[in-house]
Amino acid sequence: MAARGHVQDPNDRRLRPIYDYLDNGNNKMAIQQADKLLKKHKDLHCAKVLKAIGLQRTGKQDEAFALAQEVATLEPTDDNSLQALTILYREMHRPELVTKLYEAAVRKVPSSEEYHSHLFMAYARVGEYKKMQQAGMTLYKIVPKNPYYFWSVMSLVMQAISAQDKKLSQTMFLPLAERMVEKMVKEEKIEAEAEVQLYYMILERLGKYVEALEVVRGQLGEKLTSELQSRENKCMSLYKQLERWPECNALSCKLLLKNPDDWQFYMSYFDSLFHLIDQGWEPPSEGEHCSEGEVRSSVAQAIAFVEERLAVEEAKETRPLRGPFLARLELIRRLRARGCPEEQELGEPLELMFQYFIKFGDKPCCISDLKIYLDLLTTDHHFINRLMETVPLSEPQDDGVALPGDTRALQRHLCVAQLSRALGLHHALDTTGKLDLIRQLKSHYRHGLQFGKSCLKTELQFSDMYCLLASHVYIDLWAETGDETMLWQCLGLLEEGLSHSSSNAQFKLLLILLFCRMGAFEPVVDLYSSLDAKHVQHDTIGFLLTRYAESLGQFAAASQSCNFSLRFFHSNQKDTSEYIIQAYKYGAFEKIPEFIAFRSRLNRSLHFAQVRTERMLLDLFLEADLSSSLEDNVKSMGLCPEEDDIPWTDMRDNRDLTVLTSWDPADRQLSEEQRSFSLQEELLWLKVRFLTLRLVGTLAVLSHPPTPRNAEKAAENGVVAKPDILRPLLDQLNTTLQNGAQFLERGVQYPFLGPSPTRLAHALASGSCHCQVLAFQLAAYVQELDAAALEETTEVQTQISNSFKSLLIQLKEILNKCKGDLLEVKEGQCKTQPTLLENLVFFVETVCVVHWVSCFCAGVLRPLKASLQKRKKKKKEPISMVVFSGFQEFTAGLQSLFSEVLDHIKGQETSLTALKLGELTLEEVMPAGVRIVGFKKTQLLRISLESDVLT
Amino acid sequence: MLGSKMTTLRAFTCDDLFKFNNINLDPLTETYGIPFYLQYLAHWPEYFIVAEAPGGELMGYIMGKAEGSVAREEWHGHVTALSVAPEFRRLGLAAKLMELLEEISERKGGFFVDLFVRVSNQVAVNMYKQLGYSVYRTVIEYYSASNGEPDEDAYDMRKALSRDTEKKSIIPLPHPVRPEDIE
Repeated sequence: MAARGHVQDPNDRRLRPIYDYLDNGNNKMAIQQADKLLKKHKDLHCAKVLKAIGLQRTGKQDEAFALAQEVATLEPTDDNSLQALTILYREMHRPELVTKLYEAAVRKVPSSEEYHSHLFMAYARVGEYKKMQQAGMTLYKIVPKNPYYFWSVMSLVMQAISAQDKKLSQTMFLPLAERMVEKMVKEEKIEAEAEVQLYYMILERLGKYVEALEVVRGQLGEKLTSELQSRENKCMSLYKQLERWPECNALSCKLLLKNPDDWQFYMSYFDSLFHLIDQGWEPPSEGEHCSEGEVRSSVAQAIAFVEERLAVEEAKETRPLRGPFLARLELIRRLRARGCPEEQELGEPLELMFQYFIKFGDKPCCISDLKIYLDLLTTDHHFINRLMETVPLSEPQDDGVALPGDTRALQRHLCVAQLSRALGLHHALDTTGKLDLIRQLKSHYRHGLQFGKSCLKTELQFSDMYCLLASHVYIDLWAETGDETMLWQCLGLLEEGLSHSSSNAQFKLLLILLFCRMGAFEPVVDLYSSLDAKHVQHDTIGFLLTRYAESLGQFAAASQSCNFSLRFFHSNQKDTSEYIIQAYKYGAFEKIPEFIAFRSRLNRSLHFAQVRTERMLLDLFLEADLSSSLEDNVKSMGLCPEEDDIPWTDMRDNRDLTVLTSWDPADRQLSEEQRSFSLQEELLWLKVRFLTLRLVGTLAVLSHPPTPRNAEKAAENGVVAKPDILRPLLDQLNTTLQNGAQFLERGVQYPFLGPSPTRLAHALASGSCHCQVLAFQLAAYVQELDAAALEETTEVQTQISNSFKSLLIQLKEILNKCKGDLLEVKEGQCKTQPTLLENLVFFVETVCVVHWVSCFCAGVLRPLKASLQKRKKKKKEPISMVVFSGFQEFTAGLQSLFSEVLDHIKGQETSLTALKLGELTLEEVMPAGVRIVGFKKTQLLRISLESDVLT
Repeated sequence: MLGSKMTTLRAFTCDDLFKFNNINLDPLTETYGIPFYLQYLAHWPEYFIVAEAPGGELMGYIMGKAEGSVAREEWHGHVTALSVAPEFRRLGLAAKLMELLEEISERKGGFFVDLFVRVSNQVAVNMYKQLGYSVYRTVIEYYSASNGEPDEDAYDMRKALSRDTEKKSIIPLPHPVRPEDIE
């Protein structure tokens, strides 16, 4: 708690202990102290608010709110109360109440600069742009300070940005903002850089680029000094907008002369060059080419310009800059794309790339630089051979591998290996060739470790990337031959790598991926936590954990990883609002729309929607026993099954799908199309999960009211039947499953190092989706039975009885798909069968759904049975109720199914523990003990499914 | 060593937070909470610069601020974070980013630039020395323990800017200080 008003106030002295308790997290003492104080000083409102903060922080939200409102209705005007209420409302996530608070305060103290400015910020927090505009102007009238005026202007810009009607933005809000700034310009009242920046923003958004250019290049532009090259960058952007290619051309050249390494200006230079050529631009016969000076508008001039930059670098004593050398390749590519024969004047790409390698081959980035231009090569082998000849290596050792003598030679050799892979030469090798390649890479890897003996734990080894390359070749071999030994070897190699280079994130990431693909989640938890991924990284790489935790049966870990991510997303809303306010205070106007877009990007994150849904499903699965009611669960989650609150059409895929390093050839890299397929697939699966969740939630809503379970009576009492939400959701689920099946027919494949496929394919193959549909269908029949008069239920009763039977059969079928050894050891070879484990998880999830449906059925059937027995006593006509016996058979069937699955799991555990892993004779000894334990602890299923729900 | 950056240098934006894993998955680079980044972006946007490679990968970034009293000649630029992805090291990129931060601090009329570095991070300490920085003082247990490692001391390193003509700001303190004593 920061601000505490004035020290001389005796109330401050009285309140101080409470503040201190709150600051130290001692909420109970804070409450006690506040109570004590309030006994003596009844009217010390702030003490009440501080007590409310204590209550809020100890989970007594309702009490806290009531107490706060007591004070708020008095419309306090003392600093302490206002600030404490602001803090409280923020913690309650009710920022809109802060606006009410200060609205009242400024009514009472209309001349207070401070309260008006708090009011402005309170509006900013909730995005009330129109009121901000007014509050800003009111402030300016009270105290004519420029920032207040420009807060008001910025609020107009925000109204323009947020307006649904873009025409309104262009014809009203922005022009008004422009006029407001113009007024200040005319009166020569512009003071700060931020004000010019805002003027520029307005003109840019209005498309008034000419005017914007005048501002930037004129006297006002002189204020743009904080950011480096601020004026130049703005001019460049405006020239492009205005298609003033001569200026763009001249300015690019000027900036390149100053810094021949700034890549963006080569790009703008070449862009402008070809635009000018296409336009047939001719320099004026006399005078300056344009306002930015000399234009170099012919291919010959461009070639000369690049050659001059190169000559400067070549003549240097010190190490040359890379920019001009790569710019030459870029120019060749662009000329070639246009079919310009002048391309040849710049030289042969192979030769130029060879020279590039000679100059920069000992830099780790050489591969990133050259891989962009590999498509210019025509003979890959020849290129690689020429490079290899230049790498200084020893005479071949006993194993026939020639090795580098120092780290520079090592880096060069490594670069050649990376380039070979990028050119597809690794992929072209046959199995023997690949195995030999792996042997060589390992040899280089192990040999290279000697150069890094003095490396700190936080540093990487010089030869680490050989290890990663060899791992990639192992994965190629596995993908090609299906020989799982390759993956085991790969695990061993990566563990070896990690033992020498404990902070290599790439090793960890690949190990995580491999363990997950092989069905062993246990080691993944530690590996992931050693990456120390935090905050925004939950959004970008959290999927590595959440994709597999649940599907491999680690429910607790899954729940925990969802929680980590959720905590991050939930704090986002509050956090960003505070910094939007800061941006106003510091006049960082251009950051305000950026922060708002950022907030929206996080709120619309795919991962957010996924962890939210999965977290709730997990709760329902983990709570699937008789001790808790579904209603309580659904209520405590705040799940509203009628509502679809996922922004399906505007979801942001924030996953970092290239976080795993890959040197694969361009055509094997993750393509944009694959990215969009992956997102589509994720959305389909999310929809399946979300609908499942809502359907389970619906059961809670339906079984909620304990009204008389008799159709006639209900009708008499005028109770209207609940709107049928179950069926429409069920229809949606069916449609989504169909769409899912259609999607899978396309057979989309992703690169191994790219996104993993979702659980969709396995879910459909396991039969669990259809079994769950059947269960919900059953619930719908039972609901029908509930609504109909008992006499007219023969048909629906038959449907229910049949559903009971089919459910058992389908569950049994899923269980059969779980049988087999998770880890088979035969003839010294290991074979994992993760699908069995995944099917087991699908089985468990389905059983949970069936459990909730059964509870629902029991809830409906129990009173029905009771009323039937009453009828019997009254000796009315007996009505045959096949559903009751059907349900009893069903629960008995479930019971025996559960004993079967529990036996199965016990059997799995026994056989995994009994595996004599020492018998494994891998071709090479597995170093660092591959973490096979991961397979042992498939500690699933603590589900105490008491199936005797009716008795 | 200064030389081949070959880079696009531009202002860091919020969207870069989604792309900086190759830089931040490094044991010595801290990933801060969103508020921390937003605070810098809101208050000192010009001090937050990212370098982008021609292939679009983020190579590294620097994050800093201006603070201190002008009257007491303590107004200065501060380097809060500086990190370069492994594959873009040994190009002098960190030096280039430091140069930019110094230039911005010069323009703001700072007396010096300072930074904190783990005493164990010898690579970084040497680099800063090469760039003209010297140890002004040691801050005891500035870095709190994590992952079972003990607390660690920091060097507060400084380089005088042109406004500090007599280089008064960098005269080393004779004794180490505690974190609570620094402003």
